[in-house]
Amino acid sequence: MKIRGDIIRTYQKVHTWTGIIAGLFLFIGFYAGSLTMFKPAIEQWAIPTTQTAVKTPNDKIDQLVLQAINKFDKAKQGFIVEFHQDAASMKWYDSGGGRGLRLDDKLVYASLNENQEIETKQATKNELGTLIDQLHRTAGILGTVGHEDLGVLILGVAAALYFLALASGVIFLLPTLVKSLFALRQNKGSSRFWLDSHNLVGIMSLPFHFIIAWTAVVFAFHDPFYGGLSVVYGDKPLFERGERSEQTYQLSELPKIEHYINTVKTIAPDHALKSLEFSRLDTASPSVTIAVQTQTQMMRGGYSDYIYMNPFSMKVSFSSVPNDQSSAYNPIVKSFFGLHFGNYAGDLGRWIYFIMGLMGAFLFYSGNLLWLEKRRVKQPQQQKSSRIMAALTVGVCLGSILGVVTTLVATKWLYLFTQVVNISYLYIYYAVFASAIIISFVKGAAFAAIHLQRLIAYTCAAIPFSTLVLSQSNHAVELTTANIALNTVAGLFAVCFYLTANKTKQRSLSGDKNSVWAMKASSRQEKEKSQVCLTNIRK
Amino acid sequence: MSRLSQDEKIQAHWWRKSLIGVFMGLSFTYALVGIFAWYGPGGINAPMKVQFNMWIVSPIWLTIMSFSFMFKTAFTAFRTLLIANIIAYSIFLALRWAL
Repeated sequence: MKIRGDIIRTYQKVHTWTGIIAGLFLFIGFYAGSLTMFKPAIEQWAIPTTQTAVKTPNDKIDQLVLQAINKFDKAKQGFIVEFHQDAASMKWYDSGGGRGLRLDDKLVYASLNENQEIETKQATKNELGTLIDQLHRTAGILGTVGHEDLGVLILGVAAALYFLALASGVIFLLPTLVKSLFALRQNKGSSRFWLDSHNLVGIMSLPFHFIIAWTAVVFAFHDPFYGGLSVVYGDKPLFERGERSEQTYQLSELPKIEHYINTVKTIAPDHALKSLEFSRLDTASPSVTIAVQTQTQMMRGGYSDYIYMNPFSMKVSFSSVPNDQSSAYNPIVKSFFGLHFGNYAGDLGRWIYFIMGLMGAFLFYSGNLLWLEKRRVKQPQQQKSSRIMAALTVGVCLGSILGVVTTLVATKWLYLFTQVVNISYLYIYYAVFASAIIISFVKGAAFAAIHLQRLIAYTCAAIPFSTLVLSQSNHAVELTTANIALNTVAGLFAVCFYLTANKTKQRSLSGDKNSVWAMKASSRQEKEKSQVCLTNIRK
Repeated sequence: MSRLSQDEKIQAHWWRKSLIGVFMGLSFTYALVGIFAWYGPGGINAPMKVQFNMWIVSPIWLTIMSFSFMFKTAFTAFRTLLIANIIAYSIFLALRWAL
């Protein structure tokens, strides 16, 4: 396909600048997004079994609920019933609850003892999974603007630039696409190799990338988009106001849990009931949020569909489960959410999204490396902008990964000493992240790249190691499929990062001396010296 | 293909083209979405359609932005998008007034 040279050059520039500006934010968004695919597994591993709910048989759950709402004021306001394979569990917020992320929410878990009397235990809610999700949505940028996180808005802009980068990348790749798509030239220097793999990954997962870019823009800016829409809607309101019911209910009128189970069976027959969250029970506008799950269909949330209803009258106010009244737009809109969350093909789908997400992160990392390669000059000192970009790329990308992995290891050990773990996660992540960036700037990208990759390898290896050690103690680690998978993946990453660290080291010693990836002359001399010594010894 | 002379080639005009793409592209997008919202399948009252309408704003807008660098100069970008806006809003307002 022939495209005019000036168009290609124009879009090459668009691609470069959008990519360079947005790449680092998107890197964090992508790899952390990959991890959120397995948020439940990470949480299951992170929280000691002593900290989780005790299960109650399904036929005893009504008895438990009744005792709880008679005895505890907080449970009168609202509580959560979760359904597991063959049993259920009950909990409520002693402090906190509701929307938004707080680090000190206290949960009370309730169960029945042998005498069928209620027993409770208190625990601080573990937020590790939520914090990883927060990192995914904000790239770790703190602060809020109005009621929205600053990081979400910045990532929204980055996602828009990313859309432009994808479009421009395709435009200027078109002429050579057919010829060199599957060419992965390893013998033409590392820059060629990076370019070929960058193009291959980008083109192969293009639909995924367009969808993620688009949905991320919508997630960040839905409010302004609705604002604009209200202009073209004119006098027509965007959303119908739900009528408020004047009727108030007594808590004693609350139907039995069994009644909800049966109701869900009729309104969502293809879904499994996951949880019931009762809230504002003591007010004029009580509500129950019903989470239901399916393995084979698109879902509105990451892991569930939701039905909101009045817990007394059972009147549904919103449901993301298809019903008779829904229009053709329901499934389409739902698919936009499902396509971002990757929730429509069970665990297999999540693994595919996990890999695609990591490949996305690779796309941004390799994009930055390509920019650096293109600007490499044949002189001892590279341009300042190149050195800064190299240090930022290494520090931000590897630093963020190291921060998360360190947090994952730390969670197992922190619980030995304290219950206040959530704030420690933040301290650990930001301390590691900041140190990595400082090291990259002070010691140079080459040094930092080698050592940060090694550290990531060791820390990843510490995950299965911690599991082994701690499964011997009373902070038992349950040996579930999810836990085994998590530990195996951690082990695999340890090997991968160790190998790439060695590869980077090789290049720093024997690659182009002038590159930002070359180690300083002194360490090269040392290597040469040691080689001379070796050859002397051999003689 | 003969070589293009200097003034036949695309002129950079980065900032102007970007701003034109952002603002005039957005207003054009809303005209299209407005026509679809009122007169597309299901009309203005179809359940969930408002969410669908909100979702399609960004892909249309970003596609227009992607192609606004194809214009030879910032002026041609401005002229084209201005005409597109006038036509789209004329249709939208005429439909609103007539139906």
